Amino acid sequence: MLNALIIGAGTMGGTHAEAYAKMENVKLAGIVDINLAKAQGLADRLNTKAFQTYEEAVELDEIDVVSICVPTPFHKQYVMKVADDKKHVICEKPLAISLSDAREMINYCNDKGVKLFVGHVVRFFPEYVKAKKLVDEGKVGKPAVVRTTRGGGFPIASNDWYSDFASSGGLVLDMIIHDFDYLRWCFGEVKRVYAKSTRTRVFEKFEYALVTLRFESGVIAHVEGTWAHQGFSTKFEIAGKEGIIEYDSSKVTPVVASRKETASSEGVAVPESPMKDNPYFAELEHFIHCIQTDAEPVVTAEDAYKAMEISLAALESIETGKVVVLEDTQEKVGVQ
Amino acid sequence: MKVGIISFAHGHAYSYANALTELDGVEILGIADENEERGRKAAAEFNTEYYADYEDLLNQPIEAVVITSENSKHYEHVVAAAKKGKHILCEKPLAHTAEAAQAIIDICKEHNVILQTAFPVRFSTPVVEAKRIIDSGDLGNIVAIKATNRGTNPGGWFVDREKSGGGAVIDHTVHVVDIIRWYTGAEVKEVYAEIGNLISDYDIDDCGQLTMEFDNNMFATLDCSWSRNDAYPTWGDVMLEIVGTRGTLSVDAFGQKTNLYNRDGAHWDFWGDDMDRGLVEDFISSVREGKNPSITGEDGLKALSVAIAAYESSKKQVPVQVN
Repeated sequence: MLNALIIGAGTMGGTHAEAYAKMENVKLAGIVDINLAKAQGLADRLNTKAFQTYEEAVELDEIDVVSICVPTPFHKQYVMKVADDKKHVICEKPLAISLSDAREMINYCNDKGVKLFVGHVVRFFPEYVKAKKLVDEGKVGKPAVVRTTRGGGFPIASNDWYSDFASSGGLVLDMIIHDFDYLRWCFGEVKRVYAKSTRTRVFEKFEYALVTLRFESGVIAHVEGTWAHQGFSTKFEIAGKEGIIEYDSSKVTPVVASRKETASSEGVAVPESPMKDNPYFAELEHFIHCIQTDAEPVVTAEDAYKAMEISLAALESIETGKVVVLEDTQEKVGVQ
Repeated sequence: MKVGIISFAHGHAYSYANALTELDGVEILGIADENEERGRKAAAEFNTEYYADYEDLLNQPIEAVVITSENSKHYEHVVAAAKKGKHILCEKPLAHTAEAAQAIIDICKEHNVILQTAFPVRFSTPVVEAKRIIDSGDLGNIVAIKATNRGTNPGGWFVDREKSGGGAVIDHTVHVVDIIRWYTGAEVKEVYAEIGNLISDYDIDDCGQLTMEFDNNMFATLDCSWSRNDAYPTWGDVMLEIVGTRGTLSVDAFGQKTNLYNRDGAHWDFWGDDMDRGLVEDFISSVREGKNPSITGEDGLKALSVAIAAYESSKKQVPVQVN
């Protein structure tokens, strides 16, 4: 039995907490949030304890693993603290705002002998897992042109932190890093990045970015990220020499409840694609399994670093209007 | 009105010819084709005369000519037709090089004949409706566009660089660039392109992903790949995702379809309005009324310049300015 603690009672904190609460080999030991009422609300619902600070929580309970679900700029300080206490770390993505912070966090956890996992959950979404499997089985032949889409409306969160670019990195660092990680998982290392975003052009709560990646393998990928649309959706298409894979979440809705319009509210359709276990559960279950068995995770902290590299290259391209060539940092890390 | 057609090398010749036969008061007087078998077959199908030599066709009392030859032959055919004072509807891309396209424009001006570039997508009813929505201002300022114009590798002369000037990029960049220019009035300033020969075994580009920066601070991307295989339910697409400060707009020019599944596989059977007919009708009415064409040679050249800049960008691996 592992004891898990959650830091941050926002959307992701809630998601992690619910997953742990369902696991038989994990005890949800508590929820930490600087806003104690928020932590208490979640803790009450899941039958666990609420704490205002991490320090109070570790003092009271024997914790084995900590999920860090706070806004990105706070990841580093918590990862360091938790590593100091020799607890394993599961950190939400993106790992950090800067590559130097990310490297420091990875090295620190290594030095302290704790495991560091990063929540690149798309590798656990069944539709994405299935697509990779089909590609690996050669069902589309050699992959050629790949397109992905992710997004919807502008995210709503505590202190509106997504609106602060310095904190969130906008959708390129916060959201389509999922696609960058997934694409790298499927098609290997990225050679060049070229990107455009509305961020420096439209001064509203709004962002739309289009990124082109060229892989070492020759694959060309186009990644669309949007906080300018209505309703969240994800799409991907993989065109290979001999086949095409398509997926559009807005068209995969096996359950649709449609309500009549009433005097007080407009009619609305609520589409769902339910699964017994959601991808977050699958991801966290896998990380817990890796802690217990010392197995290599499907997504490593190094992968998280590499995904950040792509996001930051895209941001640099947006800033400069130039192509950003990724250097082979793998070797550099190895020889330092 | 009597009209001639030079060459059935491009498959669009069939749909343009069909459209011509449906128009009142229009007659296809003859079809010239250096490929005798192809030319005779087309002439028989459209119940008209076959000419082995296009000069002989141009000597007939025709007012206008549709040129649907290989890209590299547009120049020769346009020059001949312009010299004979025939109005011209020329298949896209206007030519296989920017120089040839400019020469085509100049010769038509010199001989005072109408030159229309065949961009039929402007006559797609959903595409026209989207323009109405954009023009209404409901979307606010247009800040970005994501487009695809994918297709099936046509093979034949399309994959022979000498005749086509290039593969997927020259073939499928021009339609969408023209639509974006038409929608926004903006010009492409800079192009970046990742281009590859990743799908077919022909030695020609079949994958292309362009990023364009416009002179009004807008950007757009275009996937112009020949990435649809034979098993895909349709030949390809023209789709645009238009992002404005107050809303977004999705356009699928070939989205009006019925799905058919039978022993031949899955097929999306298109039933929307015929854009080729709209194009031909518009051209004929410009000739009849002596108007300026709705889509000019300059429009054709502007779109072609983007494709040519894309090739340069891909070669140099940097963004390239468009003249």
